[in-house]
Amino acid sequence: MSVGAFVVLGVVQLVAARRYGREAVDTITDPVLYAIGPVMVLGLVASMFHMNDVGNTLNVLRHVATSWLSREILFGAGFAALGFLFAAAQWFRWGTSRQRQGLAALTALVGLVLVWSMSMIYYSLVAVPAWHSWTTPAQFFTTALLLGALAVGAALMATLMVRRRRGGATTADLADSSLVAGTLKGIGIAAVVLLGAEFLIIPLHIANLAGAGGAAATSAEVFTGAWFVARLVLVFLGAGLLAVLLFRYASPDARPRTLAVLATAAFALVLAGELIGRSQFYDSMTRIGM
Amino acid sequence: MSAPPVPPVTTTVPRRSFLKWSAAAGGGAALVGAGAYFGGLPGVGPASAATAASGLDVDRTVWSSCNVNCGSRCPLRMQVKDGRIVRVLPDDTGDDEIGTQQIRACVRGRSMRHRIYNPDRLKTPMRRRPGTRRGGGEWEEISWEEAYDEIASTIQRLVKDYGNESIYLNYGTGTLGGTITRSWPPSQTPIARLMNCVGGYLNHYGDYSAANIEQAAPYTFGSWIGSNSFDDARNSRLQVLFGNNPLETRMSGGGETFVTQRTRQDNGQRVIVIDPRYTDSAVSLADEWVPIRPGTDAALVAGMAHVMISEDLHDQDFLDTYCVGFDEEHLPEGIPAGSSYRSYILGDGPDGTEKTPAWAARITGIPASTIVRLAREIATSGPVHITQGWGPQRHANGENQARSIFVLAAMTGSIGVPGGGTGEREGSYGLPMANPFATTNPVETAISVFGWTDAIERGPEMTALADGVVGKDRLDVPIKMIWQYAGNALVNQHADINRTVRLLEDDTKCELIVVIDNQMTVSARYADILLPDVSNAEQLDVVQQGSAGNMGYAIVADQVIHPLFDCRTVYEMCSQIAARLGVEKEFTEGRTQEDWVRQVVEDSREAVPGLPSFDELREMGVWKVKGESYIGLKDFRDDPVANPLTTPSGKIEIFSDRLWEMAKTWELPEGDVITALPEYVATWEGAEEARTNAKHPLQCIGHHYKQRTHSSYGNVDWMQEAHPQVVWINTGDAADRGIVNGDLVDVFNDRGRIRLPARVTARIAPGVVSVPQGAWYTPDAQGVDVGGSVNTLTSWHPTAIAKGNAQHTTLVEIVKA
Amino acid sequence: MATQLGFLFDQTLCTGCKACQVACKDKNDLPVGVTWRRVAEYSGGTWQQDGDTFVPNVFAYYTSISCNHCENPVCVQVCPTTAMHKDENGIVTVDEDKCVGCRYCEWACPYSAPQFNPATGHMSKCDMCADYRAEGQDPACVAACPSRALAWGPIDELRAEHGTLAGVEPLPDPSITRPNLVITPHRDAQPSGAGTGALANPEEL
Repeated sequence: MSVGAFVVLGVVQLVAARRYGREAVDTITDPVLYAIGPVMVLGLVASMFHMNDVGNTLNVLRHVATSWLSREILFGAGFAALGFLFAAAQWFRWGTSRQRQGLAALTALVGLVLVWSMSMIYYSLVAVPAWHSWTTPAQFFTTALLLGALAVGAALMATLMVRRRRGGATTADLADSSLVAGTLKGIGIAAVVLLGAEFLIIPLHIANLAGAGGAAATSAEVFTGAWFVARLVLVFLGAGLLAVLLFRYASPDARPRTLAVLATAAFALVLAGELIGRSQFYDSMTRIGM
Repeated sequence: MSAPPVPPVTTTVPRRSFLKWSAAAGGGAALVGAGAYFGGLPGVGPASAATAASGLDVDRTVWSSCNVNCGSRCPLRMQVKDGRIVRVLPDDTGDDEIGTQQIRACVRGRSMRHRIYNPDRLKTPMRRRPGTRRGGGEWEEISWEEAYDEIASTIQRLVKDYGNESIYLNYGTGTLGGTITRSWPPSQTPIARLMNCVGGYLNHYGDYSAANIEQAAPYTFGSWIGSNSFDDARNSRLQVLFGNNPLETRMSGGGETFVTQRTRQDNGQRVIVIDPRYTDSAVSLADEWVPIRPGTDAALVAGMAHVMISEDLHDQDFLDTYCVGFDEEHLPEGIPAGSSYRSYILGDGPDGTEKTPAWAARITGIPASTIVRLAREIATSGPVHITQGWGPQRHANGENQARSIFVLAAMTGSIGVPGGGTGEREGSYGLPMANPFATTNPVETAISVFGWTDAIERGPEMTALADGVVGKDRLDVPIKMIWQYAGNALVNQHADINRTVRLLEDDTKCELIVVIDNQMTVSARYADILLPDVSNAEQLDVVQQGSAGNMGYAIVADQVIHPLFDCRTVYEMCSQIAARLGVEKEFTEGRTQEDWVRQVVEDSREAVPGLPSFDELREMGVWKVKGESYIGLKDFRDDPVANPLTTPSGKIEIFSDRLWEMAKTWELPEGDVITALPEYVATWEGAEEARTNAKHPLQCIGHHYKQRTHSSYGNVDWMQEAHPQVVWINTGDAADRGIVNGDLVDVFNDRGRIRLPARVTARIAPGVVSVPQGAWYTPDAQGVDVGGSVNTLTSWHPTAIAKGNAQHTTLVEIVKA
Repeated sequence: MATQLGFLFDQTLCTGCKACQVACKDKNDLPVGVTWRRVAEYSGGTWQQDGDTFVPNVFAYYTSISCNHCENPVCVQVCPTTAMHKDENGIVTVDEDKCVGCRYCEWACPYSAPQFNPATGHMSKCDMCADYRAEGQDPACVAACPSRALAWGPIDELRAEHGTLAGVEPLPDPSITRPNLVITPHRDAQPSGAGTGALANPEEL
């Protein structure tokens, strides 16, 4: 999610800066950028809970040569470090904006490699047919980008609302509102496209598993029942229905409150859906062998 | 999103079951404090750390053994460090050849440390708190002296008021093979020796293992005659196992598991297993599995006999020379025509029914074509190595089940020759070890091993003709006191536990129950006085061998560690009680336990050539000798005139005129019958009733299970993990009930309800379920036995002749819990 | 590397008794839940019922597995710390000083060889009784087997004498990890991936 948000922000930066100028874009994207920080820290802290022997933690970097887990941890740390560096650079306006952009691009690239590594942790387990499938990286990327995009949308509206509450409209608002509207439209489109991808990948994945028999078929059984349906419904509502609404309502004249509600609700629904998805992804772990 | 891997869900045996036992054992947890003592012990309890210390870092290695009732007996080498057993090693003498094999202990023996250091260990003498219910789990700790005094004074009072026949030694096989520390046979226990010093006790005959075949065999052979030993199957082209499952019942790698597998490997004889379950013996040994409805072996034999007679495949010469009652020409004097086995088979007998393969097929479930094929093969393969296990006889018609298989052995002429067999349980070579410690009971009255609950409830109503009382026409007194030494038959291994418990709760009937054990067993929960025994690793004994083909051996199981807690040896307990009864000299003869053990070895050396001295044996641990293969009735076969059997006719009695008489004189409950021939008898809760019983349509048997020897080891965590208690149910029967493998299910009938996971498997015949016997009865608040003891479901109804246990004759239903 | 060692397993003799499993637990003092050698029952089949009679077409067999000290040990590959490593005899062991207990190897191994020990927070596994071997003794499981179904030795010798089969149900295709294991198959052994039966005792593994 952090990666997705970062990448999406980068896209917003690149696309929007041409139209609205870097400053304007920075004013709305920076707060979002700072919001990503804590999320990333939380992620790193959570990952520490996997260490049953925290004393040996640093050993996890010993095996970058073959272990995707080592690689994930390496790129995770790298992404976090670069992200913080970039955030700091933005905050203190270090270096030229081109340099900062370069740094952002590098961070985004490391982030994408991180997502790839993360998915490879699972993909590389040949003994787990539910994971050893092209759909694993595909799902990781769709999830990352979908959540990232909607998170940006939600964070964008949140910062906007906070600012309004604090000091009413500013001059930047006008730029903001068309910029924001454009951004939200873009996010809406992205969400629907990613939703389409996800709804293509999931049935393909299940069909593959069910057809393979054995452990794979056992895994496929996880994707039945109420939780699975709930996940589909939540993601569809969030990334489909609400994103379409967001796309339609997003205009400089729209009531920010409505947009904020839409953006936040879309993000919340998809987050819930994807959390179920992730949980089911783990539940589907059935190993071949004994 | 950044979600790192979560640990996979591991499937381990929940600790619940382990803790459950502790909880059950700690019925008076405050008093017993199960587990609290074990905090610092290595390898004890679920939370013990795995310390992969070097296997060589120990103070000493001491020979011991596993002494439970599996028919095997395995030496164990125990490694001691700082006064604790830290590792158990197998026999390291001998090899992989039959007759000199290494006696590799089975899975249970290898878990011995967790039995010795079990949280359920009894630690100090305890008395049921006065005024509380038996089995209520409320205890008070007492001193050894108090315990001895109370037991001695109660014995004196009961002998005065009721006589010695009011005191009963209940069946128990928790410590078997030892000489001083032996809980079976009852007449050779230290308890018997103690009681014999003061006038004796009420005897029992038979045992829960084989009550019906033991009583049946003498009507055919005159006495208990084993079939040929398993190593002798090397002389066979065909081996047939009727419900005989050595790989699960006699699991020792020095005993019959090794002997059967090795013989099969070397000789390659065809093996047929006839059993309701696709047993592990079938998995490893069998070329063919013939699934059969429980309790219908006699019908299968009849169907095969029909084929043999019709096609003239039977050994008429053998039957003419050695047997009585096969055909009309060989019936005893004065028996009406149509009474021979041949007439019974061909429909010329009183029932007028021809016992065709089709007739047998309907009863047994085995297609007629299979019966025909089996009959031809068994009749034409030369001597057939025929044995039966003790499942077929543990039925309401068990005596006839057993006898019918003897007839099959006779019809094929397989009796008394190498490669053949009598149709009995396999025999084996054994050393004639002396037992100077044994004494004789002045009392001759005996009841069936299965009849003690009746003897508590209605002792003086029990007669010879109605209840199989022996030595008297009628009991004079009910049972007023029970000794239960190293046994779990008081509750767990007897039938209909709920009914048994109700009986025991009334302490006006049986007034004193003394349980001597080293674990808080199910039976121990129902004691009035509980005496904590040591394990065999905490004392010295000389240990008799188990069944091991043609190998003889003896073990000296040395004292490995000091007694734990306040536990004492049974020898000391009995000596102390004897002292209070004024017979200490008679009991001990001035000897210590070690003196007795030395005496046993020295006396045995006279009968066992080459047996080392006690001190040598102690050093060696185990001494082995390659003996002869056992050929049942070889002398008789070689010369029937010079070596007659002890039957009235001196021959093999297919028709028994003694049973003919009993059928007329014995008083049997409605539906029970005694037949002079080994006829197939449809019984209460039998295979035929199952198919018409809408309420309880499944036949329930109880196989011996790898987790336990009966109930021994049933509370060992490693064993519960390795072999959890599950009920076997056929895939089709499970599908009909919406049950999938691993589901928690209730197995129930009008006598009780148990709850345990289902093992849905094609390895059991349709219509049959099997609950591994020996699991520890553990009633929950609703009275559901969540321990899964099959005896929560079984019946008190005894068999017709032996008055024995018919615990595989049980009908049940199963539903998802 | 010196000689690669491996296990030989005679499936025709295995009774599923688990003496190997418990002997290992006794030797290494393993608590419930940590089981370095495990035994799987694979069984299946059908019944033909015709009125009052039935005919079975049933099979079952057992497979005792600890660690196969694989040629291509996925546990070693995925381990982020290098704690899981292969020694000069090809024995795969855990270096407890390095292990962080992330349990990734537990996911990866299709034989369930690496076992997490909650008491230490580290992974633990079979090392083919290195201490016993150093003394010239057999590993505990091999010495324990009542049926003499287990043996060990240089894998080349085992293969020369007993063939190269290592893939029967429910074991994975040997190409995944290239186990140093030789199986003498049961008469009813199904090839890896056949799916003709099912693992009967998953809760015991």
